[in-house]
Amino acid sequence: MFTKVELQKGVNLYIRRTEQFKTITMSIKWLSELDEKQAAFRAVLSNVLQDSSADYPKQSDLRKALDELYGTVFYMDAGKRGRSHIVSLNMECVNDEYLSTSGVFDEALKMMSRIIFNPNLKDGTFDESVVNREKRTVIERIRSIYDDKGRYAHKRMLELMRPNDPASMSASGTEKDVESITTASLLDTYKRMLDEDEIDIYVVGDVQENELAEKIKSMFSFPAREAVRKQYEQPDTKNREARQVFERQDMKQGKLQVGYSTPVSFFHPDYPKMQVANGVLGGFAHSKLFMNVREKESMAYTVNSAYAAYYGIVYVMAGIDADLEEKAVKLIGEQIDALQNGNVSDLELDQTIALLTNSIRSAFDSARGQIELYDQYKQLDEDFTADKWIAKWEAVSIEDVQQMASQIHLELIYLLSGREA
Amino acid sequence: MEKIIFDNLQETLFHERLDNGLHVYILPKRGFSKTYVTFTTKYGSIDRTFIPRGKEEYVTVPDGIAHFLEHKMFDKKDEDVFQKFGVLGASANAFTSFTRTSYLFSTTDNLYENTKVLLDFVQEPYFTKEKVEKEKGIIAQEITMYDDNPDWRNYFGTIQSLYKEFPVNIDIAGTIDTIQEITAEHLTECYETFYHPSNMTVFVIGAVDPDEMMSFIREDQNSKEFSEPEEIKRKYPEEPKEANRKKTVLEMDVLRPKFNYGMKCNHTILDGDEMLRQDLSVNLLLDILFGRTSEFYTKAYNDNLIDETYHYDFIFEKGFGFAMVESDTDNPEELEAAVRSTMNSLAKKWTITEDDLNRARKRRIGQFMRSLNSIEFISNQFTQYNFNDMNLFDVVPTLENIEMGHLKDAFATISNEESHTVMTIIPGSKED
Repeated sequence: MFTKVELQKGVNLYIRRTEQFKTITMSIKWLSELDEKQAAFRAVLSNVLQDSSADYPKQSDLRKALDELYGTVFYMDAGKRGRSHIVSLNMECVNDEYLSTSGVFDEALKMMSRIIFNPNLKDGTFDESVVNREKRTVIERIRSIYDDKGRYAHKRMLELMRPNDPASMSASGTEKDVESITTASLLDTYKRMLDEDEIDIYVVGDVQENELAEKIKSMFSFPAREAVRKQYEQPDTKNREARQVFERQDMKQGKLQVGYSTPVSFFHPDYPKMQVANGVLGGFAHSKLFMNVREKESMAYTVNSAYAAYYGIVYVMAGIDADLEEKAVKLIGEQIDALQNGNVSDLELDQTIALLTNSIRSAFDSARGQIELYDQYKQLDEDFTADKWIAKWEAVSIEDVQQMASQIHLELIYLLSGREA
Repeated sequence: MEKIIFDNLQETLFHERLDNGLHVYILPKRGFSKTYVTFTTKYGSIDRTFIPRGKEEYVTVPDGIAHFLEHKMFDKKDEDVFQKFGVLGASANAFTSFTRTSYLFSTTDNLYENTKVLLDFVQEPYFTKEKVEKEKGIIAQEITMYDDNPDWRNYFGTIQSLYKEFPVNIDIAGTIDTIQEITAEHLTECYETFYHPSNMTVFVIGAVDPDEMMSFIREDQNSKEFSEPEEIKRKYPEEPKEANRKKTVLEMDVLRPKFNYGMKCNHTILDGDEMLRQDLSVNLLLDILFGRTSEFYTKAYNDNLIDETYHYDFIFEKGFGFAMVESDTDNPEELEAAVRSTMNSLAKKWTITEDDLNRARKRRIGQFMRSLNSIEFISNQFTQYNFNDMNLFDVVPTLENIEMGHLKDAFATISNEESHTVMTIIPGSKED
């Protein structure tokens, strides 16, 4: 679906020409091995690069220039996947065809190139006031998780299940590591990111492929580098006994998170089967969890399961009355048992496959969806298409679902709830 | 069927008003594999006092009923609507806002079968005492979830601090107490009053053949029996100009204070082109005063008064409107002073230049073009505008015609300090 052009060793351009959108979307992804300390540096770096540049040393001037380009969207962010840390530059501008002026995309490309290669330096290093401000911003981002009880409960579950492990590391690092950043060490991170990271560049929109490839090659001349991608290795948790951890904050609802481990991860040949099994369990509004915990027992408004495939973790989350925790855990366990006993109807299986199909096709209706999905699935198949993947789901049987369910093991029951009066 | 072409956007919209009064809009989008269909009634949480169909006296129903009704529409005698959509590969949902209740699905397959499921389930209510009672537990959990969400409490608390009388100050889901009062009879009364096709709109967008889809919906509606359309009589209380409260502080288990500055709009009884112009003018004004290129933003960000959670917004519907400037902050007092001084300085001396306006205009035009990539945005925004007699596709020409005088008028609708409020959530043990 994307045309691949190798710009340099370790630097690839992926272009998708389509008239579907009124805009042109670009993403540049820098990928390195996930390391908690480096994550902090890279998170701050992406904020610093996004703030200003040599051309526009003040944030408001950079933003004005973007506004002049018909509100061209530009932001950078830091994320993680498996054992990789990813810094992304994202840009989206209106296709000239819909404007009374021309040259917006070319200008926007130029600006992105200047932002990357000509950052806002003072005396050969990053501006200290900008760095300090963005350190503070990233620290505030890390702290803010506490205020969102659902996200906090999820974070705690991962920390308890996989301490000191990529699965529980934050893509923004820790407060302590952010504090330790200096302008000099940040410059070092910047240089390494540009020279050593594996780089993927994506462009989606109504563009001429050859012409664009030439432009990108000259404007974004990254040197060749070695590929760094390493796969996450799961810790052996088979013989661990399931644990229960209850924690409290001042709140009304109980946030329940039940974590399971599975050897079937993203790179495992059974990955599509596990996607279906998770869907039958709790991915949708027809799934077992929704029908039995919410609709039948009226116990929850939110109850669903999710599959963190890179880390081999399946988890169930529910917002419940904390007094009903035991009952909720029992009901959740019963749904897993039902899957393990093959107690799944053809209807449930068909609905799940139909909705997985709908969700992947729908994701392709946005440029960002196309980029993000392809960026992941190309690791399994460079010629990935939605139809190919849908065919894999369609081949999944009830026996497969049963077999997948027998490969998930309860590891942790975590409840965050209100303090007793 | 009427065909409306928007040349500069390369979009064509099809419209028909059916015999039963239902408005149907269809917008085909090239290249899309998904189709998104919404079925919306002009009925939301603010519609609590009205004359029920066939009656003569006004009644006031328990708070949270529009939302409760939305939940109960999915429950049928011996089947679940989500299951029906699921087997047809559609992802279904619904939402209730202050002014609308929308039922929707998106699908890449079985478009007509799914459309039929949507039309049928919304037009065949099934309310029983038992099912109504059972839903109370689920909705109570939904309400509790929002109670624990500081951002929601901050947003809604600001509305309640701004509005003394107008029912936008009532929680959309109601409270755990008010939903206890809701009965199957209430639901039936509200359903019969507000779910008549003449009060509703279907919007179909994405991969769709407009002729075929229009015939399909027309035939479906002609095969069903409906009573005659009747005008719905709703009553809203008069809202004073001043804010309900000047200051509200709420303690919750958070690490940092959350700040929200609310400004009530004092010119809201309007519709059509005039409303669209005011809506866009206030938005441009806020971009210039509080956007990322503004002096306010630059200073507040450098002084550590705002962070990544910072945003501002303008909500505008017939009868109510408010602007908000919000952020997590360690320094709510200083942030409040900065927002007030930004508003007061402009009131004293108009410093916005033509360059500012033109740049903000360009940005909004680009943002609108970008949002046309999203079929969900088009559908929801089109319907909301349509219920206020505005046309979404007039946004670009209207933006192009906004002049400095319009910005000044827009500023006057939100600048009165008496209509402003400050809401803060501070770390501490929670109330009650």
